Amino acid sequence: MLQLDRLTCGYGPFRAVTDLSLEVPDGSVLALIGANGAGKSSTLMAVAGHVSAMDGRILFDGADITGEPARARVRRGIALAPEGRRLFPDLTVQENLTVGGYSRSRRAEARNVERVMALFPRLEGRLTQLAGSMSGGEQQMLAIGRALMAEPKLLMIDEVSLGLMPAVIDMCYEALGRLRDDGLAILLVEQSTQRAFDIADTVCVLESGKAVWTGAAEAAREDPALVEAYLGLAQ
Amino acid sequence: MNYSDLLVQGLVEGCIYALIAVGLTLVYGLLRILHIAHAGIFTLGAYVGLLLTNETGSFAAAFVITVVAVGFFGMAFYRLFYEPILDKPPHVALIASIGLFVAMEEIYRIVFGATSISFLAPPLKDTVEVAGVRLEEGRIAVVVLAVVLIGGLAVLAGRTRIGIAWRATVSDAAMAESFGIDLARVRYINFFVASALAAAAGVMVALLLNQVIPTMGGVPAYKALAIIVLGGLGNVKGTLIAALALGVIESFGTIYLDRVLDRDAIAFAFLIAVLMIRPQGLFARR
Repeated sequence: MLQLDRLTCGYGPFRAVTDLSLEVPDGSVLALIGANGAGKSSTLMAVAGHVSAMDGRILFDGADITGEPARARVRRGIALAPEGRRLFPDLTVQENLTVGGYSRSRRAEARNVERVMALFPRLEGRLTQLAGSMSGGEQQMLAIGRALMAEPKLLMIDEVSLGLMPAVIDMCYEALGRLRDDGLAILLVEQSTQRAFDIADTVCVLESGKAVWTGAAEAAREDPALVEAYLGLAQ
Repeated sequence: MNYSDLLVQGLVEGCIYALIAVGLTLVYGLLRILHIAHAGIFTLGAYVGLLLTNETGSFAAAFVITVVAVGFFGMAFYRLFYEPILDKPPHVALIASIGLFVAMEEIYRIVFGATSISFLAPPLKDTVEVAGVRLEEGRIAVVVLAVVLIGGLAVLAGRTRIGIAWRATVSDAAMAESFGIDLARVRYINFFVASALAAAAGVMVALLLNQVIPTMGGVPAYKALAIIVLGGLGNVKGTLIAALALGVIESFGTIYLDRVLDRDAIAFAFLIAVLMIRPQGLFARR
């Protein structure tokens, strides 16, 4: 589904990611892990179209989307729940979801709101509340829900667990597990390695913008020390 | 004049300020541009409305055509002058905007002449009594228009899909775009609405004063600036309250501050006082 082919990207003269190649097959989950500044978020932003590629290619469903604007990528089926969530705080929950589904029809919107409510019952009854007035956990659920409104084939999530209480993190991961079981491909950035290993099929460790270890999540689960060692290198 | 007269006159002025300042704050909220040339668009509305009324004999038709036509002019203005410099720092657009405002005044002087133009048959000049206050029909029309147009804007922004997209873009343009919102379209709509409101204000000021001159945008330009700063830059509700408040304060000021302060200086005195106490403006949220 998603394929990065020797992708190099960054901001101005600064390179955040160098020569990164990875693949997220249909219906699978890839976890990107690494220290702060390793290039995880930049990778997601490049796939979403907010950071421009300096070199290499981004392929989605076989099409080269490297130069496409963000607006076109969401129609292809790429949606992002970004770092810091970046909800529209002055808009209501319902309005945030409406924006999430802006690339789809009005009829699809009503259907998708129901799907999001089924996934995150905590959001039900809060549709008229301002997004900025909700708790961090509810905001994270809304950020994921907003991305799902775009009917993505690939969902990208940056730092699901950052700053959230364990019970809320569990709820989010449970929802992600259900989405995976429904066949959605997920590209996950996470600092909490254990949670990432549990849900992922593949793990990719980034260090200073380069992939230093890529392998099956099982291998990482069975021998966490292996990945920790690579993470340790980065710190 | 008694208090209710002063209050009503102040609210009428305030409605005009609101029609001008809302557009200015919309442009600032979306693009972080202090759109000084907005006052030049207000003057254009006054000229077009007056000349069309004299030409067609129908003030209502002239009003509608002017508001729509100047709205489109605002879109073209954005496309020609602001879009090419969007990636420059904000002071570039500010300087461009001041230059454009001066140029517009000079163009009006060359095209329409330096002396004032008036309505051949001034419309809406009869007076009626509302709640014990005698008012010109034109002044009532100002209030009705402000309520209808700004109310319509509120419905557009709050209830429609494009309005929600607009507010999302103001909040976080990159995120809005990544969900499929066409930023260029939102900016065009923004300039259409802002310019149409300014044109409505221009036509109504022309009507109340029964004259149009090239420099009539000068005073509204700085007053609108004071109003949107007081209202908390980019905050539409705050701008509305600041506009009405300034209208009323000026109205009472003409009686009580007459010896101390010129009417047109009140906006700035008010601005300086508020900024000393609340530098973020009266109604800033953050």
